[in-house]
Amino acid sequence: MPERINRARRSAVFIDLDLLDYRKALDFQLETLHSKMNQPLLEDRIFFVEHPSVFTLGKRGGLENLGVSRNFLREKNIDLVQTDRGGNITYHGPGQAVLYPIVDLERNRLGVKEYVHGLEEIMKQTALAFNIPADRNPKNHGMWVENAKIGSVGISIKRGISIHGLAMNITPDLEPFSWIHPCGLSDISITSIEKELVKSGSSCGPDTDTLSMDQIKTAFIQHFSTVFDYSIRKKETS
Amino acid sequence: MKEMKDLNLPDDVKYTKDHEWAKLSGDIVTIGINDYAQDQLGEIVFVELPEVGDEFDQGDEFGSVESVKAVSEIYLPIAGEIVEINAALEDAPELVNDSCYDTGWLIKLTPSDISQMDTLMDKTAYLDMLKG
Repeated sequence: MPERINRARRSAVFIDLDLLDYRKALDFQLETLHSKMNQPLLEDRIFFVEHPSVFTLGKRGGLENLGVSRNFLREKNIDLVQTDRGGNITYHGPGQAVLYPIVDLERNRLGVKEYVHGLEEIMKQTALAFNIPADRNPKNHGMWVENAKIGSVGISIKRGISIHGLAMNITPDLEPFSWIHPCGLSDISITSIEKELVKSGSSCGPDTDTLSMDQIKTAFIQHFSTVFDYSIRKKETS
Repeated sequence: MKEMKDLNLPDDVKYTKDHEWAKLSGDIVTIGINDYAQDQLGEIVFVELPEVGDEFDQGDEFGSVESVKAVSEIYLPIAGEIVEINAALEDAPELVNDSCYDTGWLIKLTPSDISQMDTLMDKTAYLDMLKG
């Protein structure tokens, strides 16, 4: 059974941004944040997105953990963005499922520590549904399959409202991760749902050919709803 | 998270809705985050503080704390000019978890309007707010 943080009948709108540039998705997040600051009763929103390839830095940086030159990134047409979230450098790219819940933690009486724990739980349950034994790891926050990281968390809290969120590797090209020390760690590897299914011969999980982002969206909504006790309705983007 | 009854909330400081505390001694006000805040943030790994000489209004963001991959802004209980920051936190941010009212204080300031201290909550009012 997934862990439940608490029971409080909360509600949120789920908005699918599909494939969207990191900076544009950040604008959506900040717009929502400011709306919620001005109208505290506005519902929480949960953005789902895949980003074109991009490296992002945490508030305290992480440039020292970038192992390739900025010229190299320019040649590959990969952006590098400074953010104000927690954590160090990370990579986002197509095939990675990203969830940005804009949640009023203060109003919902969710502690920061338990909120991050809950975001990890969403990734854990998503992986377990594929029979992938993901779990937390004392090395670092996020979600792990033994010594390989499959998902990351990083958030920023302003006036009690959280932005940014989690990123879980489903079918991304993992090569760009080798250009950095993800999260500032050097002795780890990176994995994905696809890689783990291939490794296990997917004998007990679904066929990787049928692994779709829609499945992941459904799983994220279901587990977010259970873990944080939210009723979530979907909104189509215009 | 701690139960309400287990929170350490001293009687001799004032509280804000954002879970900071402020204590007046002579002309100087010492400011930090309270036990509820440090507990729900988890293990603090970095504290970002302003420079001595910086001036802020009441409620302004004056820094941030990073814990469990989360950067949380912190807000000033009353307006004033920063006269001292807790330099020990640079190497030992965990002092905020270990001793939030003592060695884990954040900044000291000279208030621009001391009457703003009266706008803050005492322990009873703060606890009532937490209970909602």
